Formats: sequence, C-alpha cells, structure tokens
Amino acid sequence: MELSRSSRRPTGGRLLSRRLALQVGASGFLPGLTLPGLLHMQAHAATGGAPKAKSCIFLFLQGGPSTIDMWDLKPDAPAEIRGPYKSIRTSVPGTLVGEHCFRTAKIADKFTMLRNHSHNDNGHITGSHYVLTGVRAAFADGANTRVPVNDLYPSIGSVISRELGPRAGVPPYINMPHPLAAGGPGFYGAEHAPFVIESDPIQPDFEVKDLRPDERLGEPRTARRHKLLRSLESGPTPSGRAGTMATYYQKAHDLMTSPSARKAFDLRAEPEKTRLAYGPTSLGQCALLSRRLVEAGCRFVGVDHGSWDTHFSCFPSLEKDLIPHADMAFSALVTDLYERGLLDSTLVVMMGEMGRTPRINDKAGRDHWSQTQTVLFAGGGIQPGRVIGATDKTGSAPTADPVSVADILRTIFHLMGVDSSKTYLTPVGRPVPIVNGGKVIQGLL
Amino acid sequence: MISRMYPTGQFLGCALCLMAGWCVSARAELQVSPARIVLDGPESTHQILVNDTADPRQPDATRTATYTVANGSVARIDATGLVEPVAEGSTGVLVTKGAQTARLVVEVRGLAKPRPVSFEQQIMPLLTKAGCNSGGCHGKAEGQNGFKLSIFGFDPVADHLALVGEGRGRRVLAGSPAESLVAQKATARIPHGGGRKMVENSLPHRRLLRWLAEGMRPGVGDFVPEVRIEVEPGRRVLALGGTQQLRVTAIDAAGNRHCVTAETEFESNAPTIAAVDPRGLVQAGSNPGEAAILVRHMGHVSVCRITLPRPGVAFARPPENNFIDHHVWDKLTLLGIPPSGLADESTFLRRAFLDTIGTLPTAAEARAFLADTRPDKRARAVDLLLQRPEYADYWAMRWSDLLRVDRDAITAQGSVAMSRWLRRQFLENTPYDQFARGIVAARGNTAGDTPAAFFKALDNPEALGRSVSQLFLGVRIECAQCHHHPSERWAQDDYFALAGFFTGVGRKQLSTGSVSIMAEPGKDLKNPRTGKLVPTRALGAEPVRFTDQDDRREALADWMIRPDNPHFAHTIANRLWAHYFGHGLVEPLDDLRATNPASNEPLLDALAAHLRYLKYDLKAFTRALLAARAYQLAAAIPENLADEQNFSHATPKALPAEVLLDAVCQVTGVPEKFMGMPEGARAMQVWDNRMPSYFLRLFGRPVRASVCECERGNEPSIAQALHLMNAPEITDKLRARLGQARRLADSALEPGKLIDELFLICLCRLPNPGERAAMQGLFREAGTDRRSAVEDALWALLNTREFVYNH
Repeated sequence: MELSRSSRRPTGGRLLSRRLALQVGASGFLPGLTLPGLLHMQAHAATGGAPKAKSCIFLFLQGGPSTIDMWDLKPDAPAEIRGPYKSIRTSVPGTLVGEHCFRTAKIADKFTMLRNHSHNDNGHITGSHYVLTGVRAAFADGANTRVPVNDLYPSIGSVISRELGPRAGVPPYINMPHPLAAGGPGFYGAEHAPFVIESDPIQPDFEVKDLRPDERLGEPRTARRHKLLRSLESGPTPSGRAGTMATYYQKAHDLMTSPSARKAFDLRAEPEKTRLAYGPTSLGQCALLSRRLVEAGCRFVGVDHGSWDTHFSCFPSLEKDLIPHADMAFSALVTDLYERGLLDSTLVVMMGEMGRTPRINDKAGRDHWSQTQTVLFAGGGIQPGRVIGATDKTGSAPTADPVSVADILRTIFHLMGVDSSKTYLTPVGRPVPIVNGGKVIQGLL
Repeated sequence: MISRMYPTGQFLGCALCLMAGWCVSARAELQVSPARIVLDGPESTHQILVNDTADPRQPDATRTATYTVANGSVARIDATGLVEPVAEGSTGVLVTKGAQTARLVVEVRGLAKPRPVSFEQQIMPLLTKAGCNSGGCHGKAEGQNGFKLSIFGFDPVADHLALVGEGRGRRVLAGSPAESLVAQKATARIPHGGGRKMVENSLPHRRLLRWLAEGMRPGVGDFVPEVRIEVEPGRRVLALGGTQQLRVTAIDAAGNRHCVTAETEFESNAPTIAAVDPRGLVQAGSNPGEAAILVRHMGHVSVCRITLPRPGVAFARPPENNFIDHHVWDKLTLLGIPPSGLADESTFLRRAFLDTIGTLPTAAEARAFLADTRPDKRARAVDLLLQRPEYADYWAMRWSDLLRVDRDAITAQGSVAMSRWLRRQFLENTPYDQFARGIVAARGNTAGDTPAAFFKALDNPEALGRSVSQLFLGVRIECAQCHHHPSERWAQDDYFALAGFFTGVGRKQLSTGSVSIMAEPGKDLKNPRTGKLVPTRALGAEPVRFTDQDDRREALADWMIRPDNPHFAHTIANRLWAHYFGHGLVEPLDDLRATNPASNEPLLDALAAHLRYLKYDLKAFTRALLAARAYQLAAAIPENLADEQNFSHATPKALPAEVLLDAVCQVTGVPEKFMGMPEGARAMQVWDNRMPSYFLRLFGRPVRASVCECERGNEPSIAQALHLMNAPEITDKLRARLGQARRLADSALEPGKLIDELFLICLCRLPNPGERAAMQGLFREAGTDRRSAVEDALWALLNTREFVYNH
C-alpha cells in the first residue's frame, strides 16, 4: 500500500508548487494503483541495476525526415519508390544505409537503427505533439504558433526535468535554437518548461539569450548593479512563488557567473577542427553545444532542426543540405561522446514527427508518411550495432511488431531510470501516467 | 438519539454529537456506538466507535479499548473495532478502557439462508475499493491484459458481462469458485499484474466466492437502491498526532441503514495534515491545518472535516471592518493562527492598484496617498480606482482569458469585438448575472459588439455545456462525459442533459467573413452508452420543455441566475476572492463540490449571499473585499508563515505578464510598441493573444485554449530572471533618451531626493536607512556620472522581488 501511495502522490517532501497543490486539491478519489509500483519494480528487476543514461540529446528533424533515402533504402523497389540513391556498406557487416550517410555508416557499430517505428498522425503540429508528449493532439493540425507551452500534456523533456531534476549548475531541460513546438511542460507548469537558447549557435555572434549582461555596460558597472541588488534583497527569503523567484534569481546569477556554466555555453572554446567535424550547420553546432551542456550536467537537450518537409523536388535539398547536415552532426556527436567516455551515460535519439511517402510524387518530392520512419538510438546503455525491425519491400509499413510512440517514450524513460508508469493529476484531477501504454523496446537492450 | 456536548476548550466543536445510539457507561465517560448491532448476512460487518471523553487529547478510543464478546461463537471483534458474524444468535459485548466499561449487544442473522449476493450492490464496491476498475488498471479505456471494466464501476451491466460472459466465460467457475480465474488473480495465487487485491478468507474474498457459487447473479434491482451515505463523525477537531476511526453508513431508499465502512474508499485531500488508511482510520500529522476526508461508496460521496489547531496559542482578536473579517478571525481563532498586523500605507496602495486595475501607482499618486491624513483614505482610494478606465481594461483582459478570446480560434475581428464588449461591461459595471446571461445566450454578429464569438470558439453543444459549467457554475463536469464523476454525484446523463441547452445554436456564415449566432430549434441529446435520449435539464434541476421557438440557452440562464442556484454566486465570489487574496477559498477555484470544501465555508456562503444582496454589483463587491482588514494584512510573521489557506497574512502574487510589462514600461518611462495598436497602448489592452512577444510568452501569457484560469502560467523561471537582468530590450528602456532614468539624472534633484523618487516610482514607498545608504554609496562611487548611477539604481529596483511581485 505504501508503494501505491507514493506512486500516486509523488510530491515527495518538497514544497508543493501551486499547480501541484491544485492537482492534489482536485484529487477527488483515486483508486489505489498498485500496478505502477509493480511495474516499477519489474522494470528495475529487468535491468538489474542503475540506469546508465544520465542525459539525453534529442535531435528532432522537424518536418519529417525522408528516412527511406537515409536509413532504410529500397534498392529492389520500382524507381518511383527507390529514388536515386544507392545503398552503401557500413562498419557492421550486412547493414546498409543510403550513400549520403557515409559518415554515419562508418560508426554503425556505435548506434542502432529502429526501422519499424510507425504511428498514424500525419500532421506536423499534431504529429510533433504526439511524438513529444505521447498523447494524440486534441486539436486540428494547423498554424504553428511556436508557443512552447503545450495546452495540457508535458513533453518528454519536461518529464525528465521533473523526474530527474538538475544535475549541476545548468538547467535540466534545454531547447535550442528555439523552442520545440510541442516541447512545453503542459500541466507540469513553467518550472519544467525548457530553458530556451533563443539563438542559433551557427551564427558568428552566437550568444545565449539574456545570459550575459549587456556589454555596453562594462564589467565594473555590472558588478556594481549586482552588489546593489544584493544589498536591497538582504532581507529574509519569502515563502511561496516569490521565494522560488528568489532562488531562480540566484540560479540565474550562478548561470551568468559560474565559470562552468559559462564554459558550457561558450562554443568558441571548441577547437576549429571539432566545430568543423560537427558541420558548419545549425544542427551540427547545436549538437556540439548539446554535448557541452550534457558535460555540464544538463539532463535533456531538445534540438529543433527544421526544413525536412520536402514535398517538392526533394532530392537536391536532401543530398546537398539536409542529409549531410544530419549525417555530420549525428556521426560527429556519437564519435565525440564515445571518445570522451560519455556515450554510455548519454542517450542520443534522432527522429522526426514522421517519415516520407515511399512513392515519389509528381513534383519529385515525398509527402507525409507517419506509417514508417527509421529512428536512430545511440549510447545510454543501448545495444549498439543492431538493426531492429524492418519495413515491407516498398517501405510502406513495418513487416511486423510496429514500434509505437509510447514504446519509444517508455524506452527513453526506462534508459534514464524514470518510472514511466508514475501518475500525476491534471488540474481537473484526472490521473495522467507519464506514458500511457507502450512497452520497452527489448531489442535495444 | 442522545446528543452530548463535549468539554469546553479547544475541542469544542466536535461533531460527534451527531452520532446516533450512544451507549453511555456508568461514569458517563466511555461512550460506545451503536448500542445494538444487527449483522444480516455472512459478510456483513459493523464498525464500533468508542469515545473517551476523559481524554481530551485523544478521545477516540476505538483502537485502544478492549472488546470482550460474551458468546464468541456468535460474533467476533477485531482490534480495530470491526464486528464480524460467526453464527446466528445474540451476544453481549463488554468494552473496557482502563477502569471504564460500556456494553453493547450484537445480533447475527441471515447466515443459514443468506440473501444471494448481488453483483451490482455487493461485488462492484469491492472491485472499486480494490482499485480493479481504476484508470491505471482494468478501468482504462483499453482495459488491462484483455480484461476491461467500466472506470470507477459506472456500468454494472457491462462489468458483469465482462467478468461472466467475455473470454468464453473463462474467468468464473461456479462449480469450484476458488479455482475461478477471477478469485485466483485477486488473491494472487496465480501471477497478477496488479498484485494481491484480496486476502484469502477475508470478507471480500468470501463474498466473491459465494457470488460465484450462487451462479454469478447480476443482481441488478435485487436490492433497494442506496440513496446516500453518511460518515461519522462528520467533523472533528484532533490534536496533533491524534487519530480518529470513521464509520460509514449506507442508507437505502426505504430508509434502512447498514454499515459499509469496510467496503468504502477513503482519501484525504491533504495527507500531510491528516492521512487516512483504507480502514477509515484518520491519522493527524504534526502540522496544524485542515483536511477533508473524502468517502465514497457506490457513486455516493460524503466528507469528514478534520481540524488540527495549533496548540497553546493566544492572541487578541483584531477589530472587524466587515463580515469578512468576522469569518476569517473565527477560523484563525479555531485553528490558533494569529493574523499579521495591518499592512502599511504604501503596501496597501500598491496592492490595491495592482489587484484592481493592473497598474502601478505613480510617484505622484503614492505621495498624495501617503500625505493624506483622512481616516477613510483607504476606502477613498479604492473608490477612485474602481472609476478608472484601467479597471475595465484589466478585467476585460482577465475575462478574455476565460472566454477564449483567441485570435486563431475566432479571428482578429472576433477578438476585437469580444474585447470591446467585455471592456464596456466593466466600464458600465453590468451586474454579473446580466453579464453571464449576455454570454450564455449571446446572439448576433461575431464581429459586432457582442460576445457571440464565444460560440465560435466553442462550436459544439458538449464543449459549451462543460465550459459554461466550469466557468459560471464551478462544476467540472467533463469527467461525466465518459463515466460517473469520481468525486461528485454527476453521471453521464447529467452531462448530456446540460449539453442539450446548446443544441439550438445556429451559426450562419456571413459574406464579411464573420459568423452570425442565432437561436434555432434544439434537440435533446443521446447518452452514447445507453443510447437513450436524455431530457435537457440543468445540474440537479428538473427537465425543461421547449418549443421550437425557444432559445434553449435562455432557460439555462434563467436557472443559473435564480437566487436559489447553489453554484452561481459561490463560483464568482470564489473567483474574485482568489484574485484579490491570492488563492481561492476553494482551489482549484472553479471546482466547487462537496468533496472539495471551501477552506472557510461560512465565509464563502456569506460572500455569495452578499453578492446576491448587492444584485451582483461587482464594484460594490470588490469594495467589500478591499475594505476587509483581512485584505489589508501585512506579510507573514513567523507564527503564521506555515498557513497557506486561512488568510492570516498577505501572500505575494505573481504579476500577470501584461501587468509586469506595463509596470516595466511605466517605471522606465518608455512605452512598448505593439503591432497594430496605437502608440502608447498598454500590454493589457492588447486584444491579440498571438502577438509575438518574447516577454509576454516568458512570463506566462495564456494561449486561451480553455476556460480555466489555471492556464495563465505564473511560475517563475530562470529565463525570467535573466531577461529582467540582462535583456537588451530592458537595458534600452533604462538608457532611453526620453526615459525616466535620463529625466531624473538631468534634473536638479540632489541624490537623496532622487533616491526617494526612484523608490516611490518602483515600490510606492520611501527607502529605509539601509537602502538609502546603499543607494547613496552608488552615487558617490559613480562620481559625476549621474546617468549611470540612476540607471543602475533603477535596474536594481526593477529586479527586486518587491517590484516583480504584488505583495
């Protein structure tokens, strides 16, 4: 009974936040949930030890990557499906990838491809919402408002932020170079919203938004200001939200002044060679900055990389821009993490909200196809060098055992040691499990 | 019925006197209830309650008394005071605690020829209490491992079929009940994902086996239906660390009562104050406060209120400005929480400005107020605030959040129209009942000066029914869309009956791109589960008959604003209370129900009555709120710091994003430029909720996707702190050529006066000696560079908690 109680009300000993207090107040009657407790124990029994992944870097290829041209080619299919690209060998005998992924091909022994991911939401906004929250969108697909606050459901990064909390002086959940469209905290509240680096690291004048005092002021004046602020705030720390704000001021100040956090954000400290290896691209530099942030203790970095919605004349942009960017960023990131001994403790996932249609349309592009998408996993304790699942000969559907969105989320949480059967109450008192349904992808472990 | 009063002192107010059939011992100190117990049937049980009035710290002696059954072959009693039958007959029971004794009689019958077990009445509650039909297990939409029950057991017919009929009947074996899959899973004799839900040979287990052996009767209609439940005691004052056993009695339509304590679900809304275990034992924690113990049996709910006073506190009751103070002080006296003193004048003025009109007082306004010596200056200040146009701007914004004034949903024209209509209502102080009717029964062009666009944002009867219910009635009925509300009496029929009021909303597309909302003939809706038409009726009201000429919504509005409507006045009273006092008497503030009681029920009732008395004049009501001393209290003192729900002190409130941005603009003297708005427009006047603004997004502007106030995020974040400290946008405002800092720096004011001015501008007060010294140090350090000194001083003030919060 104790177990069920704690899983139902995971407020721990912390001060209740307003939202949490609302949820608890709204509770009504909740049935005793012993199942989550049991699943939790089973999950831990299954891995037989502490989870390995301490952080996750989530490279989100927004718009829908054409994985049929990257990781799951169909060389024997008719030309209108096959496309122009050839398959090439990889460092794992028998595993083939598309010719433009030649860098990643060389490290195929360090990651695993999941070719049987499938869901049936073909919209960008609704699909992103589904993939990032595990919950089908209750709204129609439409204009992208870029409001990083999900109407109700927390995104994967917000869950990680809530469950694992910060590890060092950097925020636990970071988005770059802008908010992930569905990466918000939903009913978890702003405490678990991403810290958004509203700036693209590929820009030569890249600066994390608002992190540095205005340089027009100069160091002495900045110091003077902070000294004055401290003397004005010397009274006792208030309770409630104002008190939380005080701690956030402290954290913000730490972030501005702590050498390690400063160092983490300072991409210029990377050797030119490394920066080039990741690629002189937004995705590459974001991946590199992600590595620095993970080293500094960040739990979950969500990188938003757009322009994958290739309906028209897709191949020139795929082979000249999109694929090389992803190929460079992913291979450099995994290699770099490996060489630094960080790959075991860092999970890297690369996916979009959907794949693309197997049949090339009459505009020489591919359209939305959520039925199939290949997802890449590296590090964090997964078994590397594998290919999990397969699609049929046209790449239209998984041949067997489709892996759902819930399966992917549950697997990520499992690898990070998060009990994904835990339940929280929405403001109306409805219990929402961290992930509804789904199972850990066994082939990955 | 014997009623008894309890010893005076802090335990006065015990409601045990409600309990029936007390058996009083010779020394009149040990009381046992009931005096006579009848157990009818093999699995019937009865909870004894023992009360020792000689022990004021821990009067409940149910678990410390010893029970001696004269004839142990008739009945047995466990250490928790639960009586179980053994054989038919009658026996006396001696209850002993120390030297005190009391007696009761137990009669057992119905064992030889028991009534057959009814699935609906006797098995379903067991499944519910064990959590089998919960949302995490078999109750979820897809069931669990192939076995699905209706959530919280709202559909006994389907559940009976699932258990008995589905899976080719493999779950039940009448011939050997104990070998049934359901019995083996429940007792975890074979692996069960949910673990062991029943103990072998326990009452639930024995009843399950008997039901199986009797051939699994659905039992629908076999029993007189249960109409309500009672919990004893209904209210209790406990000492810190004390305990209290509860007893729950079901009452059927014929008035029969039987004890269902062992089959009831219990849950505390504040487990840190008072927790409750599955047997109904309340355990008080070590912090003073209040908790509601929610009790549920077969869809019926009741509440036991637990109060834990702070021991040994004495304080002088402050004066009462009006009825509000009376109720607040009553509560604080009961709990032993001393209120803070009166807030100083500056704090009051700043608080009243920000709360009422979302605007900071200017330095001139602050000075005038501080210099005013009239004794009623606070009331005068409030009167002036309520006449200002910013009052209408601010409240139109707040209601735009609730009425879903979302440009993406109702177009720019619709947003402008709604904002203008709202602003006019608050400017003219339209009585709230008429205001609500205007919205619920809105007609006309969505681009005209009407709230008709509400019916564009919400375009189907169900969404309208549940939104109107939450917004105006404080009833969150959406749970009942799919199942019986888990903590309320509302069922699916209530949900569709309410939605029926909105089936006659016609929407005609106009050539201008807007929509005309009009009344059309409506129809009653079907309950999708039963397939039956549900006559349209309001919550707890009789069905309404309509002709095709009626606008159904008018009938709903009539019912809503009737003086005897139990929801309407309470909901808006609580909403406004929450706005001015930082949190609701009920939280969440639009979730009013018996199982979520107000932290001060007499106060909420009095506020609702006052609002009706004022004929829903919101300005007059606001005047009453702000006149209360309770509103004018200072910040927490160590003695009441832990109090979060009894209004013993002021609570800092986060400023809404728009208000904070306007405040930054006001103190820096540099207005923000908003796309599509005239020069000098303020953030709270912006009708476009999608207007790109990093500041507003960062500080929690809502997306207006629901009618829930909770959507406005006011949680602090690191990024907020960084933005206020470092953002170039703010630096620019501080340095602006025509800004406040430059104006002051270029003035002839000597540093001391200048510092005073800055404090008045930002914090509405003068600096204390320490602050003045720190500021003067800054000016000395800066030497002749007055500009940078003023900028730095303003920067520091703008980053204080005192500036960023309304306190």
